[in-house]
Amino acid sequence: MKTEQLKTLFYDEVAKCNHCGFCLAHCPVYTVTGREWATPRGKNVLVKAIIEGKIDWTPEIEETLFRCTGCKLCTQTCFPAVETNQAVLAGRECLVDRKQYPKVVDRVVEALETHFNISNEPNANRTLWMEKLEDIPDHRFQKEKARVIYFVGCVAAFYPMAHKIPQTFVQILHKADVDFTILGGEEWCCGFPLIQAGMKEKMQKLVEHNQEKVKEIGAETVVFACPSCFHTWKEKYQTNAELLHSTQFIERLIGEGKITFQNGADRAVTYHDPCDLGRNSKVFDAPRNILKRIPGLNLVELEGNRQLSVCCGGGGDLEMIDPALSAAIAQRKIEEIQRTGAGEVVTSCQQCIRTISGYARKHKIKLKVRDITEVVLEAMGSPL
Amino acid sequence: MERERMVEELSKIVGKENVLSSETDLFLYGYDASLFKAKPDCILFPGSTEEVSQIVKFCHREHIPVIARGSGTNLSGGTIPTRGGIILHFSRMNKILEIDIENQRAVVEPGLFTLALKNQLARYGFVYQPDPASEKVSTFGGNFAENSGGPHCLKYGVTTNHILGAEVVLPDGEVIQVGGKALDNPGYDLTGLLVGSEGTLGIATQLTLRIMPKSEAVKTMLAIYNSLEDAGRTVSAIIADGIVPATLEILDKLTIKAVEESVHAGFPLDAEAVLLIEIDGLKDGMERLAERIMEICRKNNAREVKSAKTEAERTQLWAGRKGAFGALSRLRPNYLVCDGTVPRTKLPEVLVQVMEVSKKYGLTIANVFHAGDGNLHPLILFDERDEEELRKVHLAGSEIMKLCADAGGTISGEHGIGTEKMKEMFFIFSPQDIAAMRKVKKAFDPEDICNPGKILPEVQA
Ligand SMILES: Cc1cc2nc3c(=O)[nH]c(=O)nc-3n(C[C@H](O)[C@H](O)[C@H](O)COP(=O)(O)OP(=O)(O)OC[C@H]3O[C@@H](n4cnc5c(N)ncnc54)[C@H](O)[C@@H]3O)c2cc1C
Ligand code: SF4
Ligand code: SF4
Repeated sequence: MKTEQLKTLFYDEVAKCNHCGFCLAHCPVYTVTGREWATPRGKNVLVKAIIEGKIDWTPEIEETLFRCTGCKLCTQTCFPAVETNQAVLAGRECLVDRKQYPKVVDRVVEALETHFNISNEPNANRTLWMEKLEDIPDHRFQKEKARVIYFVGCVAAFYPMAHKIPQTFVQILHKADVDFTILGGEEWCCGFPLIQAGMKEKMQKLVEHNQEKVKEIGAETVVFACPSCFHTWKEKYQTNAELLHSTQFIERLIGEGKITFQNGADRAVTYHDPCDLGRNSKVFDAPRNILKRIPGLNLVELEGNRQLSVCCGGGGDLEMIDPALSAAIAQRKIEEIQRTGAGEVVTSCQQCIRTISGYARKHKIKLKVRDITEVVLEAMGSPL
Repeated sequence: MERERMVEELSKIVGKENVLSSETDLFLYGYDASLFKAKPDCILFPGSTEEVSQIVKFCHREHIPVIARGSGTNLSGGTIPTRGGIILHFSRMNKILEIDIENQRAVVEPGLFTLALKNQLARYGFVYQPDPASEKVSTFGGNFAENSGGPHCLKYGVTTNHILGAEVVLPDGEVIQVGGKALDNPGYDLTGLLVGSEGTLGIATQLTLRIMPKSEAVKTMLAIYNSLEDAGRTVSAIIADGIVPATLEILDKLTIKAVEESVHAGFPLDAEAVLLIEIDGLKDGMERLAERIMEICRKNNAREVKSAKTEAERTQLWAGRKGAFGALSRLRPNYLVCDGTVPRTKLPEVLVQVMEVSKKYGLTIANVFHAGDGNLHPLILFDERDEEELRKVHLAGSEIMKLCADAGGTISGEHGIGTEKMKEMFFIFSPQDIAAMRKVKKAFDPEDICNPGKILPEVQA
C-alpha cells in the first residue's frame, strides 16, 4: 500500500483517536513494556503523523507496527471504537511496499509459496499427527465426498505440541458419526499469516485453492479448531458452505444427542477466550455451554473474560516476530489464570495453547493447559 | 547539552534499556490528552527513588527541564515539554507497597493505576474514595499532581483530602518526606501545597493514601427533567436542606443521547436533563433520606424520579455517567473540556450563558458535570484538523472560563491549569496573587527546571 492510499482509507479512522489514553489500561503490549510506542494511542498518532507528513517511516515505526497482537481489546474498550489494528495492518502494508519489515517474514512467505504451509515442509506431512492414532478407518479421514470438512490449519498440523487437537477432534467427529473429511495434503494455509505480515494480496491463490476444494467435496459445512483460520475464512472467503468453529459444532452435536458425557471428575477449570474466536468472531457461549455440560466440572471465569479477555501473547504473528515480548504477555496471562485458583485452563485455540503451555513448561510452572476438544473427548469416555 | 552526551550520562543512572531518544519516541512523548504538543529531548523510565533523585540532580546541574508523566491523560497540557527536556515516565514504578487495613492507609508508587489499587482494596471491603472518570488508567502521580476529583468527591473531598503524605524529589534532587500516616503533622502543610502543583514543585516517588471501609449501604436515584435549569435548582435545594449526598451529577440532552447510543444506561431520550443522585452510609434511615430527596426533586419539577432496585441497575446508571465523555467523543473526533466551577446557586444562569456561547460560535457544546460541587464540564466538540473551527474552540473555551470567573467561580475544578489555561489565571487572580505563587515556585525551584512554563503566567512589571 502507498502512503496516499493509507490516507484515503485510514485518515478519518485514526483522527477519531482523541488521545484519552484509556487504552493504556488494556493493551497487552503496553502492559508489559510500559512504553508509549506500544499503546494503541501511540500507534494511531504515528499513522496519523505519517499521513500528515510529520514523520517519516522510521525503523521505530516499523518496530511499533509489527508489535500488535491483533487482539482488538483496544477497540473493544475505546469509546470512539478506533480500529487501531486495522490501521496497524494497513501501516504494515505500506512498510512491505517499502521493503521495510522484519526479515523472518520472508521465511514464512517463502514457505507458503513453495509448500503452501507455514512450516516449510512438504505439504503431504500435514497428516503426520495421525500416526499416533490407533484403529483408524481405512480412508484415514480423507474422503472424496463428505458433508463436513474439518480444516485442520498449519499450526495444529505441523507443530507436535498442538497435534493433540486434530487427534482428539477427529475422534470426536468419528464417534459422533459425522460424515466428514480432512483435506490432507490438499489443505493450503488459510492466508492469515499473510494478512498479519501486511501482504494480503499474496493470499488470493491460497483462498481460491481452498474454496475450490470445498466445492469439489460438496461440503455443506467447514469446521475449524483454529480461531484464526475460522476468522480469516469468515472475513475473506466466499463460499456457500456454513463456517463453524469446533466449539459451535460440538455444541450442535450435543444438542442432537450425538455427543453425551459420561466421565468427569470434580475439578475447577477456567476458560480463556481466544481473541479471534471470542472478541473477533463473537463466539463466547458455545465453549461455556459445552463446559457446563461436563459432569463435575466447575467453570471459574478469568478477571478478563468474554469481550474483555486479554490476549495470551500469541496473536498476530507476534510469537514469530518478537518471541520475548510474546512470552512476557504469556506470563501475565498465566498470572491471571493462577489468580482464579483453578489448576487447569481450557481454551479453544492451538496458538493460545502453544504460547501459554510453552511459557509454563519453560518456567516449570505447574498448570494444565488443554484444548476444549481434549476435555470433550475425555468426558465422552472410551477412546476410538 | 548535546543529546548524545545527555543520553550517555543518563544511561549510567537508569540503564541503556530505560532511555529512549529516537525521533519517533520524542514524537510519542510530545502529546497528552490535551490539544498541546511539543517534543522532549529524551525519555527515561526510572525504577527507584534513588534513580529519580540522581536524574533530577543531573537536570539541576545542567539546567535541563524535567517533566514527570503518568498515563498522559491530563486535559490541560500538564505533561507537554514546552521547553524540551527530560520526560520521566513512571510506568516501571507502579507497585502497591503496603495496604495497612488497621490504620486505614495504603502506600503506593506514583505509576500505579488508580483502579488497580481499588481492585485490591475491594478484597478487604475497603475503598479509596476519589473517582476520576479516568481512574482505570490515571496514575496516582497524576492524581496527586492534578488534585483529581470525581463524582464522589462531593461528600468525600478531592484527592488532596486523601493523600496524607508523600516522598518527594525536590528540584535540586534532594529527597524529602512530607506528611505521613498520621492525620495531623506539625510544621507547614507541604503535602497540601504539593498536591495539585502539577509537577512544578517536585516529583512524587511514593504516596501515602487514606483508605476507608466501604459504606454499609448505597442508594442510587435518577431524576428526570424537562428543563436543565430545574435540574440545577434541585441541586441547590437538596444542599440547602442540609443533605450531603455522595454524588449529584447532571447530564444534559445531548449527553443523554450520546450515552444512550453507546452504553444504554436507560436515560430517557426526550428529557432535557437527568440528575444522578447517590447517597451512602448506614442502612438505618437511608430509605427516609431517599424519600426526602425524591420529594425535593418533585417539588423542583422533576417529571419522574426512580431509584435503582438492584446492583446491576446501579452499575448501569453509573456506566452512563462514567462513559459520558467517551460517548460524546464518538460524535466528533476531538473535544475540549472547560473545567470551570461556579457557586452552586449560579449554576442555572451560567448554563444558559454557556449555551449562548455555543450559538455565538456555532459550536456543539454538551454539558455533563459534578453539579453538587458547581463543577461544570461544558464539552466543546470539534475536529482538530479544521483550523478555523479549532480557533473558535479556543475562543469559546476562554469565554466560558470568563463566565465562570465572573459568576464568582474559578477556572479549574479538577483538570489543572497546565499550559492550557495560564492566560485565564488572570480572570481570577490579581498580578499580586500570581506573584505570591511565583515566590513559592522560586523557593522550591529557583532554576525553574521542574515542569517549567506551566500554571503561572508571566506578570508584566
Ligand atoms: C476522558 C477523560 C476523563 C477524565 N476525567 C477526569 C475526572 O473525572 N476527574 C479528574 O480530576 N480528571 C479527569 N481527567 C483528567 C486526568 O485523567 C487526571 O488529571 C489524571 O489524574 C491524570 O493522571 P495521569 O496519570 O494521566 O497523569 P499525566 O497526564 O501523565 O500527568 C498529569 C500531571 O501530573 C504530573 N505528574 C505525573 N506524575 C507525577 C509525579 N510522580 N510527581 C509529580 N507530578 C507528576 C505531570 O507532570 C502532569 O503535570 C480525565 C481525562 C480524560 C482524558
Ligand atoms: S485509541 Fe481510543 S482509547 Fe486509545 S487514546 Fe485513542 S481514543 Fe482513547
Ligand atoms: S490490537 Fe491488541 S495488541 Fe494491538 S494495539 Fe490493540 S490492544 Fe494492543
